[in-house]
Amino acid sequence: MNEKQVHKFVNRYLEATECSILEKSPTHFTVKLSPHADRELTNRPYYWSFVDRVGADPETMTFLFVTDKHKYDAAEELKKTEAANAQAEEAVNAQDAAANAALGRSLGFVHGSLAAPIRVPREDLFFGARKLEQLFEAAKAKGSFVHLFQEPERRSANPFASTPYTAWLGVNMRVEFASDRKREEIHCYGISLATGLCVEHFYDRLITHKLTPRLPANIHITKNGISFNKALNIVEQTLERKLKSYDYSWAEGASARLEEELERIRGYYEPLVKNALEENRPAVEEQFAQRQSEIRWQYEPRVTASAINCGIFHLEGID
Amino acid sequence: MTIPTTPQAASAEAGTAIATRKLHPLVDLQCDRSWFDELQNRLTKGGPWDDWTLYQLAMEAEQAKRIESFDELLCLRSLPSFEPMEHQISTARKVVHEMGGRAILADEVGLGKTIEAGLVLKEYMVRGLAKRILILVPASLVLQWVRELNQKFGISAVAQKKAHTWGYDVVVASIDTAKREPHRELVLGTDYDLIIIDEAHKLKNKKTSNYQFANILRKKYCLLLTATPIQNDMDELFNLITLLKPGQLGGQSDFAANFVVDKRLPKNEDQLQEALSGVMIRNRRGDGGIHFTKRFVKNIPLTLSEDEKALYDAVTEFVKERYEESGGDLSSMLSLVTLQREVCSSRDAVFLTLVNLFKKTSEDSPMRPKIWELVEKIKHIKANTKAEKAMELVKEMNDKVIIFTEYRATQEYLLQFFRAQNMIAVPYRGGMNRGKKDWMMDLFRGRAQILIATEAGGEGINLQFCHHMINFDLPWNPMRVEQRIGRVHRLGQKEDVKIYNLCTIGTIEEHIVNLLHEKINLFELVIGELDHILERFEKGDGSIEQRLAKMMLEAGNDSDLKQKINHLGSSLSRIREEVMTGDAKVASSPDLLINLDSLGQTVEVQP
Repeated sequence: MNEKQVHKFVNRYLEATECSILEKSPTHFTVKLSPHADRELTNRPYYWSFVDRVGADPETMTFLFVTDKHKYDAAEELKKTEAANAQAEEAVNAQDAAANAALGRSLGFVHGSLAAPIRVPREDLFFGARKLEQLFEAAKAKGSFVHLFQEPERRSANPFASTPYTAWLGVNMRVEFASDRKREEIHCYGISLATGLCVEHFYDRLITHKLTPRLPANIHITKNGISFNKALNIVEQTLERKLKSYDYSWAEGASARLEEELERIRGYYEPLVKNALEENRPAVEEQFAQRQSEIRWQYEPRVTASAINCGIFHLEGID
Repeated sequence: MTIPTTPQAASAEAGTAIATRKLHPLVDLQCDRSWFDELQNRLTKGGPWDDWTLYQLAMEAEQAKRIESFDELLCLRSLPSFEPMEHQISTARKVVHEMGGRAILADEVGLGKTIEAGLVLKEYMVRGLAKRILILVPASLVLQWVRELNQKFGISAVAQKKAHTWGYDVVVASIDTAKREPHRELVLGTDYDLIIIDEAHKLKNKKTSNYQFANILRKKYCLLLTATPIQNDMDELFNLITLLKPGQLGGQSDFAANFVVDKRLPKNEDQLQEALSGVMIRNRRGDGGIHFTKRFVKNIPLTLSEDEKALYDAVTEFVKERYEESGGDLSSMLSLVTLQREVCSSRDAVFLTLVNLFKKTSEDSPMRPKIWELVEKIKHIKANTKAEKAMELVKEMNDKVIIFTEYRATQEYLLQFFRAQNMIAVPYRGGMNRGKKDWMMDLFRGRAQILIATEAGGEGINLQFCHHMINFDLPWNPMRVEQRIGRVHRLGQKEDVKIYNLCTIGTIEEHIVNLLHEKINLFELVIGELDHILERFEKGDGSIEQRLAKMMLEAGNDSDLKQKINHLGSSLSRIREEVMTGDAKVASSPDLLINLDSLGQTVEVQP
């Protein structure tokens, strides 16, 4: 994710969670969080449990989110020098300047003044930053299970005509190929609950549509032809068939390393067990077993599939 | 070959919701079905349903984080503001991709083992291969590690304080704490994805409780960090490797038979190197050592004013008398030695110590009038020769400068002295809390020209932006002098560093400067060399500091003292020669035992 992508991501998150953006530029947002976003992002569980118990009006936090540190800082620096120049011009003579400076110094010590702006903590959001990671988590926490309808392209001329819709089970799967190393793939499937048809890259198709949580007028939904369990089976079978065609030399390599490592510790522990004193033997054997299980844990090749998120999507047409 | 799994079977094992399918003779596919159960659950209840935009954002986040390939070093894209050096990156890469995440990082001092470990740690975290992580370090380094991981690597590491801290994902603790109950049970009850042990050479002896504790920890990946993998004999190396990969060098008896002639002498070096290369990386500094900028050291001899000289002589007299009265008891004399050193620094420092001494003596003590006499002498002193010279130097260089002194009182005096001349000076001392230290650093980086520091140790004071340093007075412990220099003369320093030693003629200080500068050649040593010299010197009796104090008290007169210090100096020069030429009979550097050159690269570190 580059700066622009981060910026767009943050913007959409803030809008989706109804935060009030007080100020923004292509490089930053100053934002007062909505209660929902505050709960997710500010790590204040005690505060929120207090608000919930007492029923008080929550005071949410305001943040400065900087999405492009370099440009933002450069712009701020520029502003500062400009302001300083303007100030210098204002101060007609040196005495005024000195007086202003003295005033500035003493005002700097005024605490708790009502005029003092609220402290706005700054967070630099870049790919890898903890706060952005928290935004990712927050998106996931409230973006996992959806139930949506496609908005009709255009209203039908005939108010009595009804457009047929099909219900789809859509799921975005993350597949992990792991041993002591790891890589991942994302597979997006959609299964028509009417016919059992399975479509790959279903997510890409979804984002071309306008989707709404409300049932549109003048549509009817085709009766489901298959059960949910059947649909799940289709997803898993399709995935399995696809993955079977892959190259597993990485797993063969990992297994070979696993065997090699097991062989190596056998060479170390077996004589040790044999020569151990009777009373020490159980301890040595236990350690031997522990080392073996550590090595399996480390090297055993495995593939796991889990859902990123999923939902039921009612789309136009009969498929 | 498919293992049939029905949804009924999956739901029968409620709680796990995992279906297993065979993909390849060696690999199963495990499908997590918890999503499906939850989706059905929500359908039955009619919601609640999540937001479509957040659904897309969740997906985009996953797409951005996806791990595309087995062998990229992914952590770098998450660390935009941090640029590790080339050898650090290639080391991390090698540990992750070729060594299966178990390695000894044995770079020479100053090449950034911590950074390498941090990169490996971050990489495993980014890839989702490590979550529970334990970092065992000497107690004095716990906070430094925590800070470094947080600041440089964006890893929420926590310093272990209470028993409940063990619940955090990334915990930094001292091994001495971790091995004791109640911590021990908690630590041994955890399967750690990654364990990092810093200063691992402390684990070389397998009979120690620390070694045995480290050996029974349960771990997947493991990094051992040490600059000296072999200090005394070959078994140390064997023991370290056994922690990581038992059997890498065969069993204990195979190792002895195959690789060891004498406990200090290896055989079959090629095979040994081959075996080591699977588990150890050692990068070395280039031939020229780290390519630091130059150091210019200048001793500035000063003659005390008459009044100052009178005070110095009176204090010397006073100290000698007390020593003779005590019958040669050294331990109670330390504050008096301090007094003599302080008199070379500032009258304020002497005054404070005298006042404290005065308070401690009983009211009718014969000492009181003598102390009073000294205070009278202090009153006569109107100017500080050193401070004036320092001012002259500072004005001349017209640049940022750090002034080190040993004494708080001198520090306060200098702050006032410079402020009186409208120069901005800020203090720095060990007792300040973290926030205040950072603040002082910021001020010094900003508009303050002068930093006056009493402490050079500790972390966080990295002053590469400043290349002038004045030693207002010198510590008697050479390590502390090196620490001072190290604050300024380090990686990242772009200018030649100028060091000025203020040195009052005809005082103990003259001898000390001579000893440190001429005899140890302290100001020109490469990092790490002083360690070797002192280690060997102190095998004798006591530290340099203690021996100097003793000499000073026992010396009858100045020429006697000079002779004694000269003697000390020549034994130091001799040790230095030995260390520098590598003639040392006992190998103190590991490369003398085994040539480890093939286990890493040579790094020409450019500042």
